[in-house]
Amino acid sequence: MDLHILQFLAAPAVASLVIAGIHAYLGLHVVERGVIFVDLSLAQIASLGATIAAVVPALGGDPNSRGVYWMSLGFTLIGALIFSMIRGHRANIPQEAIIGISYAVASGAVILVTSKAPGEAEHLKNMLVGNILSVQWPEVWTTGAMYLLIGAFHFVFRKRFLEISINRRAAASLGTPVRFWDFLFYASFGFVVTRSVAIAGVLLVFCYLIVPSVGGILFSNRIGPRLAIGWVMGTAVSMLGMYFSVVFDLPTGATIICTFGVVLALMAMVRPRVIAWKS
Amino acid sequence: MRSFCSLLALAVAATVAATVAATVAAAEPAPGPLRIVTTTQDLAALAREIGGDRIAVEALAKGYQDPHFVEPKPSFILLVNRADLLIAVGRELELGWLPSLIAQARNARIQPGARGYLDASLNVKILEIPTGQITRAMGDVHPLGNPHYWLDPANGRLIAQAIRDRLSELAPNDRAYFKQRYADFDARLAAAEKRWDATMAPYKGTKIVTYHRSWPNLMSRWNLDVIGYVEPKPGIPPSPSHTLQLIAEMKRQGVRLIVVEPYFDLKTPRSIASQTGGTVLVLAPSVGGVKEVTDYLQLFEYNIAQLSRALDTTR
Repeated sequence: MDLHILQFLAAPAVASLVIAGIHAYLGLHVVERGVIFVDLSLAQIASLGATIAAVVPALGGDPNSRGVYWMSLGFTLIGALIFSMIRGHRANIPQEAIIGISYAVASGAVILVTSKAPGEAEHLKNMLVGNILSVQWPEVWTTGAMYLLIGAFHFVFRKRFLEISINRRAAASLGTPVRFWDFLFYASFGFVVTRSVAIAGVLLVFCYLIVPSVGGILFSNRIGPRLAIGWVMGTAVSMLGMYFSVVFDLPTGATIICTFGVVLALMAMVRPRVIAWKS
Repeated sequence: MRSFCSLLALAVAATVAATVAATVAAAEPAPGPLRIVTTTQDLAALAREIGGDRIAVEALAKGYQDPHFVEPKPSFILLVNRADLLIAVGRELELGWLPSLIAQARNARIQPGARGYLDASLNVKILEIPTGQITRAMGDVHPLGNPHYWLDPANGRLIAQAIRDRLSELAPNDRAYFKQRYADFDARLAAAEKRWDATMAPYKGTKIVTYHRSWPNLMSRWNLDVIGYVEPKPGIPPSPSHTLQLIAEMKRQGVRLIVVEPYFDLKTPRSIASQTGGTVLVLAPSVGGVKEVTDYLQLFEYNIAQLSRALDTTR
């Protein structure tokens, strides 16, 4: 392995740790709420906003403009509003159905919008979906600072957030304004996802969100240990994936994704032994 | 919980160590042949014609890949970081991936505008440059013209000249060597062009259809008339109504040849061919696009042989 490559992988490596840090935590909520695909859905809604902003001349019409970012953020908040409204309705419609429908419709709409702006279509695809390999230091620092703020917000109100994620009905009966907290959750979540997807791409962000919390659930029933396992796993897989990507010269994001799969499978295999050893 | 904390601390320590090691490991360029990185294999082939054994060339996109979309790999960063000269196709062909690669590679020698950056499109003949004001409503217009310009040997000669001049600037001691190699390439190309012109002469004015707008330079060089595209607009997959219009137009004008790039799905072209009694022909848009094509002259040998055979059978 050529050690010279390390200096170029430092920014992507730190970025992946930043993303792993917040997503392993948010993933616990997402798995607890049973809304596994909500981030794909929100990311797609965000990219619809960005696509519209990039295509419509009145909104700047430049794929790099700030308007694109704000537009995608605005769409994410609308998505967050929708998701916080649907929970608690009595009709027998599973939340996952609404999330799936939002994803499909947002994806379709992106294709329709790009088909009206063909000259840019090929570039748009690359600009909205990030590549972890090309992330730069300033982006890493601002993202890290933002996630730190959101993490602190979640830490301060951790009781509320956990309460509505784990047992919403009980929280509601105690007088907690659950819709409001649901909206805060999805809004902060959507904010993080929009930013992460712009850096690392949809698939990789999905893995950072779901796989560590599933890994944690394999070995513990309590939130604390699950989070610790998730963080260690996210960190280890990021580093291992980057190592494989360099050694075998493979696209970095896709390599990390597959490493997540392999590591989770290995963890599932050793689980019976760990459980036996514990008891 | 304590064991988790120590694991976490270990992971953080490992990362910090890796980062420190990385900053220390920045290497100086080693002496030796000029290191040249090109975005496509066509440019690498042309650079090889001129630079011979005085340069080491690597191409980023392979000839069988769509040069609009290239998935960056760690090795790309290293190649660009160490390059003395980066040769790009330009005209926004690599817009989706090259700018971030250049930024990431942190190499002052090859930044756009520096002597180590060569935009190969600057002195060639570019087709389809829009005139007048460009608006987004025009949609399919590429503001800087069609970027697939290397598919005319006359442009290949101009690119080779630009490479010769730039190499002579970067390695003045080898000026005579580059000059002689260019003269040799020029002579071989001129002889081959005579043959190709003779082979293609009988098909002058034949109407054809292509998938993407990759071929205007190739087709206009040998006077083939492209009357339509399988794509409704560049980068947009075929739509039903456009496909039906195209079939009707091909029937009306008696067009029976559809030329496709190797990286597009053949389903739609084949169904169009079956409805019009036509043939689908996959040509090589770049060196490396098919196995046999390993240098710039072979790119045309192959495409001309394929094209003339297909035009014979569809007459």
